[in-house]
Amino acid sequence: MIVYLRSGGKLCDLLKPDVDEYTRKVDVADGLSIEEILATLGVAPVMVAFAFADGKVKRLDYVPADGETVTLQSPVAGG
Amino acid sequence: MTPPDRRLTPDDRERFARQLELPEWGDAAQERLRDANVFIAGAGGLGSAVALYLTAAGVGRITLADPDVVELSNLNRQVLYTTKDAGRDKVGAATDRLVSLNPSAAITPLRERVDADSAPGLLAGHDIAIDCLDTLAARFVLNRASFEVGIPMVYGAVAGFTGHVSLIEPPETACLECFVPRKEPPAPAPVLGCTAGLIGTLQATEAVKRLAGVGETLAGRLLVVDGLAMRCDVLEVQRDPACPVCSSR
Ligand SMILES: [Zn+2]
Repeated sequence: MIVYLRSGGKLCDLLKPDVDEYTRKVDVADGLSIEEILATLGVAPVMVAFAFADGKVKRLDYVPADGETVTLQSPVAGG
Repeated sequence: MTPPDRRLTPDDRERFARQLELPEWGDAAQERLRDANVFIAGAGGLGSAVALYLTAAGVGRITLADPDVVELSNLNRQVLYTTKDAGRDKVGAATDRLVSLNPSAAITPLRERVDADSAPGLLAGHDIAIDCLDTLAARFVLNRASFEVGIPMVYGAVAGFTGHVSLIEPPETACLECFVPRKEPPAPAPVLGCTAGLIGTLQATEAVKRLAGVGETLAGRLLVVDGLAMRCDVLEVQRDPACPVCSSR
């Protein structure tokens, strides 16, 4: 299935966007969770706090649908 | 009906004239702000914007907690302070600035770190807590204490060009631990000063609306601001049935 991973900041360096400045298109096996997709790309889970898709915050065990765009958030903790 | 001795004074009417004119606002909202007691945890980049705007808006009582002193490297974002404040304790310098902005505001400086033991006692008696902290660990302490005390918490956090804002309403909404995992990034995080100002100002807006009882808040929703792409997303957050803080309440 095709999944579009959107990101910003340091995550962009890791994900190597190829669709536009922020988005990477990946072709992965059906049924993989976000965490499993990140593993296939060599991105450590600690680099991603949560994701969002369809207007909702998603945990990394979320399984995207074919063609879905998922935005990844780095941990944000500054004040 | 407000008793005569609790009505807005002529000075209040002049100072707050531009917001009293708002159709959503008026005397009742202004009186609610004046009677409010707010706890601001952290007097850094977020806390600077929050404390300045809440004081300017007419919040009557503010407790400001932070153990640190002002450093030159704070001044790209911590707009409460000037170069002359370097080396001073933050809450002392902040109190001087805030009282000079609005002498009617009662500011209580607390030069201490909010920890798990002290947090519930410190929050008790306040109407709302505002998270302007600089680690996830400290945020989780404030989140748990706000649930224990039963007061809302305005969550805010920044890194780089990115920021988060949400309003957590115990016991109705998801709490912070429901949607933010315990993945502490290296500190201090690099941040563009105006990102902290933007997110702190949004936190102040949420607090003012919640205290005054106007508008629609971010309760149950998370605002994610990506300042680099200049994109904002408002996301639904859901309670984690296994959350260690809020699931058993
Ligand atoms: Zn929770």
